[in-house]
Amino acid sequence: MKVTYNWLKEMVDIDISPEELAEKLTSAGMEVEEIIYQNKHLHNVVVGRIIKIEKHPQADRLVVCRVDIGGGKVTQILTAATNVFEGAVVPVSLEGADLVNGVKIQKTVMRGVESCGMFCSGEELGIDENYYEGAGVNGILILPSNLKIGQPIEEALMLNDVVYDIGITPNRADCMSVIGIAREVCALLGKELKKINLNYDIDVYAKDTVRNYVNVDVQTENCYRYMAGAVTDVKIERSPLWLRARLNAVGIKPINTIVDITNYVLIEMGQPLHAFDQKNINGSHIIVRQAQDGETITALNHNEYTLTEENMVIADDNGPMVIAGVIGGTNSCITDSTQICVFESAVFDLKSIRITSRKLGVRTDSSARYEKGVNVANAELGLARALHLVTQLGCGKVTRGIIDICNKKNEAREVVGSIKLINEILGATVPTNEMVRILNNLGIQTKALGDKLVCKVPPYREDVENDYDLAEEIIRLYGYDVYDNINYNLFENASITEGHVHPRLNLERKFRNALVERGFYENISYTLVTGKINEMLLLPDDEFKIVRIANPISESISCMRTSMAHSLFQNVNYNLSVGNKDLRIFEFGKVFRAKSLPMTELPIEDNMLAIAVCEEGYDFFKLKGVVESLLNKTSLKYKLTRSTKPFLHLGVSADVLTENNEVVASFGEIHPTVAKNYDIPANVFYCEVNTQHLADLHEKTYVVKAISKYPIVERDIAIVVDEEITVEELLNSIKSACGTLFYECYLFDIYRHNSIGNNKKSLAFKIRLSDINKTLTDEEVSNVINKVLKSLSYKHGAVLR
Amino acid sequence: MLIEDLNKLKEDIGKEIDKVNYHIRKTLADIRVKVFGKSGSLTALSKGMRDLPNEEKPKVGALINEVRSFLEEKISNKEKAFEEQELVEKLEKEKIDITEPSNDKVGAPHPISAVLDKLTDICVSLGFSVVEGPEIETDYYNFEALNTPKNHPARDMQDTFFINENILVRSQTSAVQAREMEVRKPPFKIICPGKTYRNDSDSTHSPVFHQIEGLVVDENISMADLKTMLTILMKRLFGEDTTIRFRPSFFPFTEPSIEVDVSCPNCHGKGCQTCKGTGMLELLGAGIVNPKVLEISGIDSKKYRGFAFGLGLDRTAMILNSINNIRNFYRNDIRFLNQMK
Repeated sequence: MKVTYNWLKEMVDIDISPEELAEKLTSAGMEVEEIIYQNKHLHNVVVGRIIKIEKHPQADRLVVCRVDIGGGKVTQILTAATNVFEGAVVPVSLEGADLVNGVKIQKTVMRGVESCGMFCSGEELGIDENYYEGAGVNGILILPSNLKIGQPIEEALMLNDVVYDIGITPNRADCMSVIGIAREVCALLGKELKKINLNYDIDVYAKDTVRNYVNVDVQTENCYRYMAGAVTDVKIERSPLWLRARLNAVGIKPINTIVDITNYVLIEMGQPLHAFDQKNINGSHIIVRQAQDGETITALNHNEYTLTEENMVIADDNGPMVIAGVIGGTNSCITDSTQICVFESAVFDLKSIRITSRKLGVRTDSSARYEKGVNVANAELGLARALHLVTQLGCGKVTRGIIDICNKKNEAREVVGSIKLINEILGATVPTNEMVRILNNLGIQTKALGDKLVCKVPPYREDVENDYDLAEEIIRLYGYDVYDNINYNLFENASITEGHVHPRLNLERKFRNALVERGFYENISYTLVTGKINEMLLLPDDEFKIVRIANPISESISCMRTSMAHSLFQNVNYNLSVGNKDLRIFEFGKVFRAKSLPMTELPIEDNMLAIAVCEEGYDFFKLKGVVESLLNKTSLKYKLTRSTKPFLHLGVSADVLTENNEVVASFGEIHPTVAKNYDIPANVFYCEVNTQHLADLHEKTYVVKAISKYPIVERDIAIVVDEEITVEELLNSIKSACGTLFYECYLFDIYRHNSIGNNKKSLAFKIRLSDINKTLTDEEVSNVINKVLKSLSYKHGAVLR
Repeated sequence: MLIEDLNKLKEDIGKEIDKVNYHIRKTLADIRVKVFGKSGSLTALSKGMRDLPNEEKPKVGALINEVRSFLEEKISNKEKAFEEQELVEKLEKEKIDITEPSNDKVGAPHPISAVLDKLTDICVSLGFSVVEGPEIETDYYNFEALNTPKNHPARDMQDTFFINENILVRSQTSAVQAREMEVRKPPFKIICPGKTYRNDSDSTHSPVFHQIEGLVVDENISMADLKTMLTILMKRLFGEDTTIRFRPSFFPFTEPSIEVDVSCPNCHGKGCQTCKGTGMLELLGAGIVNPKVLEISGIDSKKYRGFAFGLGLDRTAMILNSINNIRNFYRNDIRFLNQMK
C-alpha cells in the first residue's frame, strides 16, 4: 500500500520528519518497506525562460540559448531540440542535476561554445502526458508561461512528496487506505484525526432526484450495501494538478475528473467506487445479482470473461455491466461524451470477491480491498467524499438524494478485557493508564473499571475481539522494547519437560556421520520433479502413482518424487557437467506414492536414504561394504537376494530383506537404459535404504560372549565349485561343519581359469578355529578340516584344489 | 712387571678405543680380536699369571679381570652408540614426503542439515521434543486448524501448491503443530523441522525450502518466555553477543504476533552488506498461540497458553555460512558442498 507524507499530513498534524514517521510506523507493525523521494532526481532542476536563441557558429544542428533561471541569473544552454522558441518556459537542469535516466549534468563546451545545463523533456523528469500536458511530446517540455521563473521544478510540477510503500498485514484491511494509516499515525503521535471534508453542494434548482436517473435492485446476499448518487452536467477533463499529483505519487495513472475521483477515494478512504455513464445503463436499472452461467462481459482490460453463478455482477436490463467489486465493463464506462454519471459505492462479501478474482485471474485495486473486507459504514464516507470532490473540482452538479440499500449492520462492539490477563499474556506490566491511553488513541473508546477494560471497538476494527487482541494493540504501541532488558529466567513459570530426540532423525545422524567419514557429500534436492520420473527410472505407474501439483511453476517441478534415484542421478549428471569427478553423494528425504488417483486421501510418504557413487574403480562390493557398515548400526537381521528394482542392473544388484522378507534396502549398479536416460555413465552405483523401517527397530543392544584364553588356530583351504554356488552357501556349510570350534571364516581369494574348468571357480577360505577350554591339537584341527571338506563336497560338489 | 704391563695395556687400548669414530667403527672388532683373541695381548698377559708366586696371583687376577671388563665395556658402549647412529641413518634414508596426500576421503554434511542438527541439539537441551508430520497435508491442518479458513485473506501471505481442493503440499511446518496439539496433553514443548513448499522462486526464495517450528503449551506462558527462549536459541546459534528485537506483525495462528530481528552475526550490529546496513536481520516469526487455535485443537484456552515460533533453515544457513544464493543448496555442486568440511 502506497501513501504519501503530504496526504497523511492533510489528515494529521505531523510534527516529525518523514524518516522518523517511517520508523514509528514500522515499530507499530505498519512496516515501511520503502521510502521513495519523488524529488530524488529533480535536484538542481528549475523553471527557466528562454530569452534569446542564436545559431551555433560551428554546428548546424545546435542552437545557443540565453536562459533566465530566476534571481537575476541568466545562463547559456545549447540544445538540439527543435520545439524551443524565444519566450518559452522550460525545465532547466543545471550543473549537479542527476536525472532519472542516469544523466548527470555538468558544464560542457560543444564546438567551442559553453553550455551550462540542459532543457528537459517530460521523460527526463520521469513524467508522462497523463500527468502533465506536453510531457509526452518528442522534445522539450514546454511549461505554462505563468510559472514562476527560478522555482524548483519539483514544486512547480508538484513532484515533492515522500511516498511510503507499507506492507499491510491481512488483519488490517482498514489500513488499505490513507485514512486507515492516518489513524495509526494519530495513535502513534497522540493526535486527533482532522475532520475530513464530506460536504457537497446539491443542485437545488433541478427537480430531478437520483431516482430519475437510476433505480437499484439488490438480488444477492453477497452485496451487503449498495449506495448510488448521480451527477449531471459532468465535465470530463484533466483533473487539477494537485489531484493528479496525489494519484501519480501512489502509482495510479490520472485519466479524467470522474475516473480520478473514484481512484482518489479508493486510495484515500479505502472505498472502491465505480462510475457509470448513465445513458448506458439500460432501463436506468441497476441490478446486483449473481451471474448466470455463460454470461459474458468485456472488461476494461479488454479481455472477455465468461461468468458463472459464483461471480457477482452489476447488471442493467441488458446484462452485466461490471464484475462486482473486481473490474468494470467497457459498455458502461465513463467516456469523453459522458454527461450524467452514476457513482456506485458498495460493500460486498469478501469471500465472493476473492473467489471471483482468483477464478478469473483478475486483481485490481478494488478487488484487493474488497477481498480483505471493506467495512459497511465505509460506503457512506466514500460516496460523500466523491461528491465533495465533484463540488470541489466543479466537474458536475450533484443530484438530490442518495440510494442506499443496506442488508448488514455494522456497529461499534463492546469488548471487555482483563488487565491482569493482558499483563500475564505480555509477561510485562503495562500501567493501566497507559493501556487506556493507547486504546483511546487507536479510536477504541476505553474505560478501566477495576480489573476490567471496557472497550467500544469501532466497526473498522473487526480484528479486535478479545484479551489477546487488546494485548497486541497495547504492546505494539507501548513498545516491544520493554523486553530489551527484561529480567526473566527461561520458563520461570512453566513446567519442566523432557526433551526427546526423534529416533529416525537420530539414526539419520549416525548414518550421515558414517557416510561423511567415508568421503560422501550430503545432498538435498527438490522433492518436486518432472512428471517423466517413472518413465526415466523404468518404474511402473500403477505401483508408483504420481502425486501431481495442480498449480506448478513449471513441468520440471510439477510432481512429487516417487524415487530418490531421480534426484541423485540428476545430481551426478549436474556435477559431471561442471567438471566434478569421483562423486560420492547421499541424500535423506521422502518419496511419495498416491494410494489412488485422483487422490482422495493423503499419499504414502516413505523416508529414505539414497547413496550414489560415480568413481573410477568402484564396484558392487565396495558399495556393499558401505551398506553393511550402515546396517550394522541397527539391530536388523537381514539377508540379501537379487534385486528386482527396475532401475538397477538385474545381475549386479541386491535387495536387503528382513526376517519377514520385507525389502529395507536395495543397491547395485544402475541399469544401462536408466544411465542413458539421465545421461550419466553406466558404472554409477546406487543404494537406497528405508530409514523409517530401520528406525522402527529396537535400538541395537549387545550381549558379549566369553572369549577363549587359548590362541586361535587357522587353516587355509582352496576348493573348486560351480559358478552357481554362492559364497554365502559355502560359508554357512563351513560354519556348521566346524561346530563349536568355529571362530570365523572368510574368503580371501577367487580364481577363475580354463585349467580348472568352464563355469567353475576356485575359492580360497581362511578358517579360524578356537576352543574355549584348551589349545587345539593338530589332530583335532585336521579332523575339523576334513569334516569341512567332506561337507563341502557332499553339499556343493566342491573339490579340493 | 706384569702389573705395569697390564696397566699400560689398559691405558693404551683405552686410548685406541677412544680414537675410533663412526667412520672407522669396524676397527672395534679388530681391537677386540687384538686384545681378547687367542693370541690377543690380554690373553698373552693372562698366561703370565702362571709364573707368578701364589700370593700375588689374586691381586694380579683381579687386575686382569678389571682390565678385561673395563675394555669390554668400553668397546660395547661404543658399539651400542654406533648401532644407534646406524639405525638413525637407516630410518633417515627411509624418509617419505609427508606432504603426499592420504587416500582417505572425507565428505561433508549439507549446510542445511548442519544447521538443523545444531538447532535440534539446543532445543532438546531446553526440553523440546522433535516431531515430524507429512509433507503432503490436508487443507485442514495446514490452514483451517490454524485459524485460516478457506478464502481468508491471510491465505495470500503464502503462495500454496495445491494437489486438489482439500490436499496440498504444506506451505508451513506449522501444520505439524496443529496435528500435535490434537494428540498431546499440555504441558509440552515440541519442535517440528522439515521441508515446506511455496510457489515462489528467486535468489532468496526456493519452491522447496526448510522450516523449523517451535511450540510450547503450558499454564502461564507469556511473551517474556518467548523472549528469553529465543534469546538463548539465537545466542547459541550465532554467538554470545547476539541480541534480538521484537516487531509487531501478523499471523493468523498467533496473537500477539511478532517478527523477530536478530543482530547481524557478520557485523555484530554495526551494519554491513549481509544486513543491508541495518545491523539487524529479520529471521523469525513468532507469537502467543491464538486461543482460537488452542480451542480448535481441543485445548482449554482458559487454562493453557502457548507460544510458537518458526524460522527458515535455508535463510539461517545462508546467514551462518555467508551464502548469497538459495539455489546453491539444491544444485548440490561438490564445489559448494566441500566447503562445509
